[in-house]
Order: sequence, then structure tokens, then C-alpha cells
Amino acid sequence: MTDPATSPWQSAEAVWTSSERAVEMVRAIAGAPEALVGQTPKDLVWRKNKARLYRYRRDVPATRRTPIFLVLPLINRAYILDLRPGASFVEYLLGEGHDVFLLDWGIPGDEDRAIDLTTLITRYLPRAATAARRAAGSDRLTVLGYCIGGVLATCFTALNPDVARNLVLLTTPIDFSDAGQFGRMTARGTFPVDRLAETYPVVPGLLPDIGTKLLSPLQSTVGTYARLWDRLADPAFDVSAWQAMYRWVNESVPFVGAAYRQWIVEFYQDNRLARGTLEIDGRPVRLADIRCPVLNVAATADRIAPRSTTSAITRLIGSDDRSEELVEGGHVGIVVGRTASRDLWPRVGTWLGQHD
Amino acid sequence: MTKPDGSVPPTDPFEVWRQIYDANERAWSAALEKVMDEPAFAEQSGKLLETFLSAQKSVRDNMRQYLEAVNLPTREDIARLGELVVGIEEKIDQLDDRLAAIDEALRRPAADGAE
Repeated sequence: MTDPATSPWQSAEAVWTSSERAVEMVRAIAGAPEALVGQTPKDLVWRKNKARLYRYRRDVPATRRTPIFLVLPLINRAYILDLRPGASFVEYLLGEGHDVFLLDWGIPGDEDRAIDLTTLITRYLPRAATAARRAAGSDRLTVLGYCIGGVLATCFTALNPDVARNLVLLTTPIDFSDAGQFGRMTARGTFPVDRLAETYPVVPGLLPDIGTKLLSPLQSTVGTYARLWDRLADPAFDVSAWQAMYRWVNESVPFVGAAYRQWIVEFYQDNRLARGTLEIDGRPVRLADIRCPVLNVAATADRIAPRSTTSAITRLIGSDDRSEELVEGGHVGIVVGRTASRDLWPRVGTWLGQHD
Repeated sequence: MTKPDGSVPPTDPFEVWRQIYDANERAWSAALEKVMDEPAFAEQSGKLLETFLSAQKSVRDNMRQYLEAVNLPTREDIARLGELVVGIEEKIDQLDDRLAAIDEALRRPAADGAE
């Protein structure tokens, strides 16, 4: 008698089912660039060059006094904090009664080659913050920065201590003395940053993206598709959620050469911010000048901004009110992953409620 | 054919690929990450990048020289125009900031007088 488990019919059926799944997989990947993202309604409040400041619409007036000013990283699309309904930090903050502003840096072109971090901190951020304060009719803001956006927010807050009522930092590297693999890859004498900035007025987004993928080379490439393969077998799997995230991961943003050079040399190689030697437009950036309440959020499995880089802020600032939250997950996962709505968002929400 | 542990090897090629990945992923990842964590890897990748950038720069320079020779605007020429617009916008912003500061200074005495 033929064993049913090894019968030719059973094998043919398995191949057929798998082939269907493979077609679904190709469809999911091909449809990702069209995935709907950043759907929460918003209005343009201010603009300068490519940068845009948006204010998210509320059905009812805000119940919290202090507006939130979100400062996003330069190398990622801003919709990560408003990925899709149900997976949106912005949506959560609106639900908690906050007035939410988001600063999107936009996509730089060759004409922006002279725009370095100093320009962003002294000419863009102060004006965007003023526009947010005017629109909200509030003297102070809760400045919330994510990754490099957190570094910009930190420098801005240190130089303009009257603007921030609170500072919230999500996976923000401050001390680069032990910056992990990124630190080794960008070390002086190893990484040709001058040649890079000289060759590219705007560094293609692919380059920092390759650096990130090298942190976990197999999982961030083949692993992505292997996981998709498994999840497609689950009838409850939400393909559109996967597509939104896949779209974000693959839509990298170019980094202006001058800003990139400053980022690598002054932060990674010289570690000027933590050492207190950073100067922006001739003004020293002293972390001790940050006297507002600060919430610093780190991720347990963050290889982009490891804990060795993020935890220094709490000992270097001048504020007495300083808290640190350690959230289970990776650099992006804690902000928008499946557990974000149960873990990170309520923790930040509770802290904001206590510091409104 | 049944394996010694009693399981049946898959005949579905997709499942074979998945099983190979599952069986080796941890070991391969660990090996790759170990290599990439070495300073020697960072050094080599830096050299590779430098070589690529030299080639890229040479292509860009040649293209610029060619376009200049045939009297066509180069990428830099067009970027320079955009840069001028960005500079003008900054000037307008600076004027706007000054006007706002003057406006505030003018309002302040009026408000103080009303008190």
C-alpha cells in the first residue's frame, strides 16, 4: 500500500500550494511601493526649502496643554511615526489629547549640498518650532526626537532652553565612544568620508542603508522573505501591514554630503556632543544647559543606536527630572512594531501626561 | 524515503529552500556577523568604498568635461541655480524674522502702556 504522506498526489498538491504562496509573495513585494502610509489627516503649517511642518487634525480640541513637536531622522521617510491606522504613534498621541506637529525634512537634492547639521539646527529647527508655537498658541513645546532627529532635537534644546517644556528622545545616540559596529565602520582612517562628501553632493540613501543591513546581513535580506513566506501561510496575516513596513524600509532618503560629513566626523569620530566640545555656529552645545524634564528611551536589541550610545544623556544633562525607559525590541520595532501600542506608546503617553 | 528519525523529506522545492534556511540561518548569521564585526572587515570595506568613489568621481569629472565641451549645462550648473533659489529663500526668512522682531518690539510698549 502506498504511504499517503509520500504519495505522488500529496507531493504534487504541496508543490501546487507552495507555488500559489510564491505568487502571493511576489504580489506582496511588487505591491509594497503602493502601500498606503501616513494617512492621518494633517495641514501644512510651515515650509522652508524641502522641509515641511505639519499639524495633525483633531476632531475635538486638544485636552493637553503642551503641543508635541516631532523631529524625525534625516535618512528615513517621516511617515514611520504615522505608518498606517492602528500602527501610528501620531494617532496614539492624538487619541491621548495632544496637539501634534511633525517636522519632515523632505528629500534633498544637489542644490542642498551646502546644508549641514549646523544649518538645520540654527535655521530650520528654530523657525519650525516658532511656527508650531504660534499655530498652537503655546509658549513651550514637548520636543520629541527619534534617532538622528533626537540628536538634532538635543542640540536645539541645549541652544534654545526656553523653547522646550520637555525633551523626549527615542533611540537617540549621544555618546559615540563605543558606537558598536557602526563606530568601527566609520572610524577615522577607515571610512573615506571626505572623499564621499567630495564625490556626492548628496550621498545616495542606499549607502547608509547598506551599512544598516550589514549589521544583520542574513536576517535583513533573505530573512525578510523567509519570514514573509511563513506568515503568508497564516490566514490572519495582514499583507498590507507588511507592505507598509517593507515600503518604509526600502524607501531610503539621501543624506546631504555636508551634513553627512559633519555627522560622521563631529559625532561618530570626535564624539564632540558627549565630550562637550561641539560648537554649532560658534556657540558651544552644552548638554548641561538642558534643564527641562527629559525622557530617554532605549531599545534592548538596538544595533543602530546601542545602549552604550543612548544612555549617556541622562548623566550629562542639567535637568533634575530625568527618566530612562528600556523597551524590549529593536531600533524601529519599538516605535512601530506589533508590541509598540502595548509597550512604548503607553510608557511615553504616561510620562507626557505627568509632565504636561 | 523515510529518514532515521521517522520524518519524510519534503519534495516541495519551496519547502526545501525554507528548511535549508532554517537549518543554517543561525550558524551563517553568526559567522557573517563575526566577520563583519572585525576591524579588518571595516578596513577592507573602507578601501573598497574608496576605490568605488575614485571610479565614480572620474566618471562624473569626465561627464562634466564632455558637457562643458558641447556647451550643455552640467549637473552642477543646474544645482547652482537651485542653490541660488534656496539662498534667496533664506534671505526672505531672515527679513521675515527681523520684521517679526520689530513687530514684537513695537507691540510691547503699547501693551505696557495699556497696563
